[in-house]
Amino acid sequence: MTSEPSLTSRRKMLATSVGVIGAALAALTVWPFWRFLNPQAGSAQAQTVTIDRSQIEVGAAHFFEFRGHAAVLVQPAPGQFAAFSAVCTHLGCIVTWRAQEQIFFCPCHAGRFSPDGRVVGGPPPRPLPSYPVTVTGDQIRIG
Amino acid sequence: MGLKQRAFDWLDLRLGVRDILQQNLTHYLLPRNINVWYTLGATLLVLFSLQFITGIFLLVYYIPNTEQAFASVQRIMNDIPYGWLVRFLHATGSNVVILVLFLHMLSTLYMAAYKRPREITWIFGFLIFLVSLAMSLTGYLLPWSQLSYWATTVATESAGATPVIGEAMIHFLRGGPAVGEFTLGRFFALHVMGLPLIFALLAGGHLFCVRRIGVSRPPFGPDYLPEAPGTSFHHTDHSGGIPFFPNYVVKDLMVIAFFLTLLAAGAFFAPQLSLPPEAFEPADPFRTPPGIKPEWYFLAAYQLLRILPNEFLGLVVQGGAVAFLLFLPFIDRGPERRPGRRPLFLGLFIVGLAGFLILTVWGYLS
Amino acid sequence: MSALRLCLSASLLLLLTTQAYGVEGGAQESSSCLSCHGALTGRLGEPVAAWEGSVHAANAIGCHSCHGGDPTIASMEAMSPERGFLGVPAETEIPPFCGKCHAGVEEDYLQSAHGETLGAGGPQCVTCHGNHAVAVTTLDLINPESCSRCHEYGRAEEIKGALAETDRLITELQATTERQHRLGIATDDQRKQIFAVRNDFHRLFHSVDVQQVVARSGEFQQRLQPVAQELQATDEELSQRRLIGAGAVLLLALVTVLLGFLRHTYKKEEQSDPGAGSGPL
Repeated sequence: MTSEPSLTSRRKMLATSVGVIGAALAALTVWPFWRFLNPQAGSAQAQTVTIDRSQIEVGAAHFFEFRGHAAVLVQPAPGQFAAFSAVCTHLGCIVTWRAQEQIFFCPCHAGRFSPDGRVVGGPPPRPLPSYPVTVTGDQIRIG
Repeated sequence: MGLKQRAFDWLDLRLGVRDILQQNLTHYLLPRNINVWYTLGATLLVLFSLQFITGIFLLVYYIPNTEQAFASVQRIMNDIPYGWLVRFLHATGSNVVILVLFLHMLSTLYMAAYKRPREITWIFGFLIFLVSLAMSLTGYLLPWSQLSYWATTVATESAGATPVIGEAMIHFLRGGPAVGEFTLGRFFALHVMGLPLIFALLAGGHLFCVRRIGVSRPPFGPDYLPEAPGTSFHHTDHSGGIPFFPNYVVKDLMVIAFFLTLLAAGAFFAPQLSLPPEAFEPADPFRTPPGIKPEWYFLAAYQLLRILPNEFLGLVVQGGAVAFLLFLPFIDRGPERRPGRRPLFLGLFIVGLAGFLILTVWGYLS
Repeated sequence: MSALRLCLSASLLLLLTTQAYGVEGGAQESSSCLSCHGALTGRLGEPVAAWEGSVHAANAIGCHSCHGGDPTIASMEAMSPERGFLGVPAETEIPPFCGKCHAGVEEDYLQSAHGETLGAGGPQCVTCHGNHAVAVTTLDLINPESCSRCHEYGRAEEIKGALAETDRLITELQATTERQHRLGIATDDQRKQIFAVRNDFHRLFHSVDVQQVVARSGEFQQRLQPVAQELQATDEELSQRRLIGAGAVLLLALVTVLLGFLRHTYKKEEQSDPGAGSGPL
């Protein structure tokens, strides 16, 4: 049997509204659960690390944890500081600091980076990402 | 339309989907005088699923260890984005689930839907109810708050009223003489694994029975007549009835949306109803908070234990009531289902319900 | 005795027998002071009832915390001097008696005009705070009736006036932390900070030095600013949550109503055609 046209159109309108609101509610519900599983999203970007100046000599490097990854601080010349991600841009190994040569060296595939992060040899496709450094008195702040 | 149609045809060719859908949706007919109480099963399915989902999410950050449990819940509430929402939904949800379980059970009793041939369905359902209470009780301990600790102490203590083996039972329930890390361990295992597994099996059994036997016809209206007891298996079909889809699904969805509204209102605006002040204080085995009370659904049992002269008598009465309800289909065996023609049952139903409500309010006030 | 009390005492007994009982909490059930003195009438029994409603009782500070002795012994031995029993302190002994815990206040009090006249008719702790029924102090303790027992109210009133705003702020912030804590917000840090400021603030007016109190009262408000801001931020977050909640509840309620109407369209059809099922959606 068929229903009256007015009833059918009314039904269609109601079903569509329910569907639209229901879909919106479902989409809105996904958001908190997504955020729940990503507790450090956003907050990590704001993170800074402070390192005491005594921990790093001229020509040496200091490794530390920064925003969930290994990072490194170097002092190529007195009072001149630079901070980089210590994660090699080739395949993600952690670079080491070669004080004699004054380069970052990746032990996995012999990638080489200069003290300002540029690629000077080996397979890495990109320079090491650098982080802003501010020096206040004896404190060096990264980030 | 083309792609959708083709995908459907592809599936239909392999699994006979069209047939399944027809049998279970459009050609699945329900009695014409079906009422709103029949939606509670579907509602419970949705609410329990939500408990499972929020529970699994809480499990991501919860630490089942007396040293860290409270702090991990604090972290969920304060540091994890929307952790407060997930926890409030889980806590409020447990209360809504119990409420709907009560309604589902009461309507089944009133309409005598537990009678032959649906005795097994009833038993599965009643066991689900008991398992749900056990899930509430075990979940209560996990946050390791003052409320958790003392509510569990009191609840397990009541087993001590059993003669001879009372002390041993308390010891067994707690895994030691007092509530402690072993209690938390066993309650945690039960709450997140043991009881949900039993629940899933029981729910599967319950649903199988419902579908296999067919929905009972509400015992109302001028043309209702009790079914004559059959001698062979017979699926109750309702020819000339209304199709499950779309007619009744819409009603199911409406009631589901109603209870979800209730849940959201509770979780956002009245979480205190599910979490009394002691729920936010860490457990302290050396300090009993004054006036601690069980959850609302245990208040009647709690008050009964208090007013009877002897605790063992209280346990016997409670055990008797549970056994009576569990085996009700085998005690109340007449084919008549119309409430008006079952004065004895109706009287018992009203007295029992009123007694439960009075005891609950009394327990709350005293 | 109710069943719950029975259960609780039974479980406590269980705890007593199974675990070392070395913590002050739970004093109410275990103290021999209370069990004996509670049964006495007159001067020896009165302190029990007075103490029960006090701030000390609420924080599980029992008799022996001040009076010494051993509450785990159920004989007169509990009150032997060898067990550290102090009994009733002499008037000049009262400040060190309370100062065992309230050390900062004792220090400022002893340097104040009040403290200088201790033993010479000047007031000591109990004069203003009472003893066993001691309650959380409010500014109302400074009142004409009380102060003019010894001197004119004028200076006291001036001090009270200078304290009022800071006191109000402290009370308000404490109430805010309580309210937020009730919703599961971790306010321990803020509560401790407020408590520290409150403690210093209470020391300040035990100096009863009008000029100093007037000069420094504002300092404490400054110190409370960071806490006030944190609590404010949490309150804003809470109202945001309510907004989200209101949206969710409204949408769900709307869906419920719409589905009700939708169901009605089928109902109408079922009634008009009592023979068969419905048409297509």
